[in-house]
Amino acid sequence: MRWLSFEATASVAYKEFLHIYRDRRVLLLVLLLPPLFTLLFGHAFETSELTGVPSLLVDRDNTPRSQDFIDIISKNKTFRWRRGSPDMKDESNLLGHGVRAALVIPAGWNESLENGDPKPLLLYLDSGDINTADAVEGSVRQSLGDFQLKQRDQMIEQLPEEVFELGKQLPVQIRKRFVSMMEMWSVDRKLLYNPKSRVIDFVVPGIIGMILQLLTVTLMACTIARERESGTLYQLMVTSLRRREIVIGKMLPYLVVSAVLVVVIMLVSGWHFGVAFHQLPALALVCLLFLLCSLGLGLLISAFSRTQTQAIQFSVFFLLPVFVLSGAFAPLEQLPTAVRYISELFPLTHFCRAFRLVNMYDAGLQFYVADLVLLLAGALITFIGAVFLLRRIEQ
Amino acid sequence: MQISGITAIKIEMNEPVIALHHLSKSFGNVHAVQDLSLTIEVGTIFGFLGPNGAGKTTTIRMLCGLTHPTGGHATIQGADIWQERQKVRTRFGYVPQSFSLYRDLTVLENFRFFGGAYGVPGAELEGRIERLLSVIDLQEKRSATAENLSGGMRQLLSIGCALVHDPTLLFLDEPTRGLDPVHRQQIWNLLYDLSHEGKTIFVTTHYMDEAERCTEVGFIENGRLLAKASPRALKETFSARLLEIDVEPLMPALVRLRELPELLGVSLRSGSLRLYAPEAEQLLARWREDWPFPDLRLLGERWVEPDMEDVFTAYSQGYDGVLKRSRP
Repeated sequence: MRWLSFEATASVAYKEFLHIYRDRRVLLLVLLLPPLFTLLFGHAFETSELTGVPSLLVDRDNTPRSQDFIDIISKNKTFRWRRGSPDMKDESNLLGHGVRAALVIPAGWNESLENGDPKPLLLYLDSGDINTADAVEGSVRQSLGDFQLKQRDQMIEQLPEEVFELGKQLPVQIRKRFVSMMEMWSVDRKLLYNPKSRVIDFVVPGIIGMILQLLTVTLMACTIARERESGTLYQLMVTSLRRREIVIGKMLPYLVVSAVLVVVIMLVSGWHFGVAFHQLPALALVCLLFLLCSLGLGLLISAFSRTQTQAIQFSVFFLLPVFVLSGAFAPLEQLPTAVRYISELFPLTHFCRAFRLVNMYDAGLQFYVADLVLLLAGALITFIGAVFLLRRIEQ
Repeated sequence: MQISGITAIKIEMNEPVIALHHLSKSFGNVHAVQDLSLTIEVGTIFGFLGPNGAGKTTTIRMLCGLTHPTGGHATIQGADIWQERQKVRTRFGYVPQSFSLYRDLTVLENFRFFGGAYGVPGAELEGRIERLLSVIDLQEKRSATAENLSGGMRQLLSIGCALVHDPTLLFLDEPTRGLDPVHRQQIWNLLYDLSHEGKTIFVTTHYMDEAERCTEVGFIENGRLLAKASPRALKETFSARLLEIDVEPLMPALVRLRELPELLGVSLRSGSLRLYAPEAEQLLARWREDWPFPDLRLLGERWVEPDMEDVFTAYSQGYDGVLKRSRP
């Protein structure tokens, strides 16, 4: 007896393909969802900048200087300003005003600046969402910095001639140091690997991985559970099909469908978002191993659950932490070390890392070979596990 | 040499297709099948009878290698049903109780799938499918999805698919359940044809009229085999003569007669009452002299031949007084 009969495996694969083809709703889902998700997520993550945060501005100083500052901060795209009356008392009620931040210029601000004892501006922040609060504060600081620089330049321009005369009497060394101190110190940044700093390039593997994982795991998880539910599993078991033929045959059509989806998503993100793809053979290998691993997981869930409902529930429970912890949309480095170990258990983590290394970093094999090996190991473990669990069904 | 060759053939001829030796299956404390021993010869239509939950389906599923025996063993053509299940599988077809083909696949697609799954060579498959389609009379429906077939057609399709690899043995678990008489007849005719071709049929049912059509019948209850013989032989185990009476009003009579200690049981058949009594002659003689129920009118009485239902009732209710038997 051969290890695997081609005809037997092919008949399982063809039957499974017919199931997909006949189930119009699933077919529609499979064909429409990936490009749609790619567009949606692609645009959602197109830029990381925060814009148009609704904010309240209260000017209690009401001087030409405060007006100057308001002109500058009004140009800052982070905010969508609403002016509050100077007499209002409830500016800290952000929720009531329907804003995420409130900036108050205190009365006597101009005067305090003139008197050499600058009063601070007051900023109320909605820190329910920490990212927004930090970004808004940074933005306010930046505008304030710009304003201060402008004020300083104006002040230097208006300095009386005597001051310059006096300055010229200082030793050269001290004058140079003084100039350095007055300059803004700067960083000259050179962006590598993703020079345009495009979030979409970072997120594309996340999108591909998430969609593939979602579809493969849930669809695959339903296959054996569905046969069990409809009683066809026993009919399948009394045939001379071997478990490996059932498992491989069931997987093949989903592998083909998923491979097509990878191409579709890559085409959409290439054309619409201008994402470039490098080292196509290596990418194909990364995708293939990841698909095998996901399909294996689906099979494992499938062999494990009694009904399709259970299979879906198990899939969702498995997929939820994966999406959050796999580094698909945000760098893994944000996570604490202990949690990062858990992340390493998810195939999506390794897929995203390997995909980025290949595509964004154009890296050599030695950088991502570990991820490939782990994906392969995952695929093997899940497949053997599924075959083993199917054996238990017989008993 | 000559002689030993003939002997070998002879042994093979006499060797049962199915042999169960003390086969048992327990699920925890529930003993679904207990100590079941029986043999089934080539070409038999074996009817496995018993009430729901008697262990019929569990027995079939054990024989098909779908669940492992917890005690004893069984062989199909000499091969162990569990240890050698992969080998045994090509020798039988299995039609489970509920429809278990792919509803979203067409008749033809179901056939092709199971053909492939059983490893039927492609060249042979198409011809065989055509033949089976004509046997089960579904040529016209070949492109219909199984979902859109009537219950009877589905059952025929199940049988057809179970035959796609040309097995010598066919297991059918209540194949006529819920079917109209026309389809029941069609299925039984099909089973006769298959038996005529030399196939052995193992069929469970709880229709007694169907038991009459089997060449051999086994009664099972609570996981134990009560009797196994041909329908004729089983009826002959009915020792007492069977009395049938017409009484009015009928339903009160049924209730009253059931309470009589002389009667083991009463069953209602097309308006008459059948009385299971060890000494029916004496009882009738007494009744002729003195009818004990003034409010019931005895309209007539006759002696009847017991049918399978009577036999099964007697066995399953333990009416030992009307049976000449030793428990198997």
